[in-house]
Amino acid sequence: MSAVIQFKNIAFTYTQDMPLFSAFSLTIEQAHITILRGENGSGKTTLTRLAMGMLKPLKGSIFLLGNDIASMQLGEIGQKVGYAFQSPEKQLFAATVYEEMTFPRLLLGHPEQEVFDRADQLLKQFDLQAYKEMYPRLLSFGEKRRLAIAAMLMNNPSYLILDEPTASLDDERVEVLSAVIEQQKKEKRGMLIVSHNEAFIRRHGDRIITLERGYVIDDSYR
Amino acid sequence: MTAIAKSDPRSKLLIAFGLSTLALVFNDLLSLTALFFMGILLNMAMKAELLQIAVRIRKFLFLMFGIAVIQSVFSSAGEPILTIAGLTLIRDEGLIKALAYLIRLSTVVVSATILSTSTRRELVQGLVQLKCPYEIAFMVSVAIRFLPELRNELLDSMTALQLRGIDLQVLPIRKKLKIYQYILLPVLTNAILNARELSNAMEMRAFRAFSKRTDYHTLHMHKVDYVLLTVVFGAFTLLSIGRLWV
Repeated sequence: MSAVIQFKNIAFTYTQDMPLFSAFSLTIEQAHITILRGENGSGKTTLTRLAMGMLKPLKGSIFLLGNDIASMQLGEIGQKVGYAFQSPEKQLFAATVYEEMTFPRLLLGHPEQEVFDRADQLLKQFDLQAYKEMYPRLLSFGEKRRLAIAAMLMNNPSYLILDEPTASLDDERVEVLSAVIEQQKKEKRGMLIVSHNEAFIRRHGDRIITLERGYVIDDSYR
Repeated sequence: MTAIAKSDPRSKLLIAFGLSTLALVFNDLLSLTALFFMGILLNMAMKAELLQIAVRIRKFLFLMFGIAVIQSVFSSAGEPILTIAGLTLIRDEGLIKALAYLIRLSTVVVSATILSTSTRRELVQGLVQLKCPYEIAFMVSVAIRFLPELRNELLDSMTALQLRGIDLQVLPIRKKLKIYQYILLPVLTNAILNARELSNAMEMRAFRAFSKRTDYHTLHMHKVDYVLLTVVFGAFTLLSIGRLWV
């Protein structure tokens, strides 16, 4: 089974007196929905940020789809792997929902019609067509979350990383998000999801990794 | 030296105010240079992390230097110093003006670094005990607090935008400008929303509900403060009088 993310003996710390990861190694396969869970401060979000090149390890190396991320630009990583922040506002930039979907691809010079067609298709899939002309920050939290995921799918990434996608969502919104995740699974897109929501973990997780203070304390497949 | 490092924040505020005001008032190179070195000495006495701060603001320092060079090139007064192919690039007066500008701004920066040796809370308390209205002192403190947050937010937005698949290194300059527009919109929106939230939170905590405030933590001037202020302001006075004679 092909590996999407490989952490090889990495070390990382935010403060010198409290190392978070030391000689940490882990391989995540592309085909699965892998869930990362653990208490606050166990290193879940840090691990995803390291995988995306947002943080640099002090030691060791990280490979993303076979490439050492030390030699990759953030833009290049973003084209291959989609990342949804815990707070969707962080990744909403444009003045309308439609512009939010289309501007990165248009800036990169992709054909307009192709970009618009893909945006329309994804807005329909994520049930956001009615908000096309709306300012993204005026959407509800659940809609913002869906928009953030839809926008990152514009690049057709081969893998997704979602940081606490169920945080601040009620049961109904979690259900809508679950449908989105199942749709992605049908499209054979693997995912790494950070979550605390036990029902959500049981429903979607093919592999469940539990972290505690920078160590894997449980790693089980279903 | 240790005693000066622990001097009252009010002394530091007054010295920083005096130093930066004189840097703006003085025009001649000699007085400005004297002021600049006074600022450096005071920073050393107060154990300010001058080098670390210089590294942090290096981009601003390069900008200052760039402006000084431009000022020197575009000055048409004085005798030519450097002429290339019949075009005079640097004249003596232009060079002096550029140097004066560079030393003046450096003195303002050096006077500000004196304040970095006290905490934000101490400086606000210093302003209050210098009879500055609490609202103004609080506003200054909030502004100081928000600047690094704004910087972090800009960096976060830049990262998030790149993770949308935009490789900034390959984009032409026209498209890069467009990118900055996309970054500024959410950062400014957030700044306004944060300001509104903070103002609501302050109202909820009964900010300005009573005209008189009491302070749990108060500052006290010591002998070293009076000596320091007398020496520094004495030097300022001598420098000002000296300029009249030159």
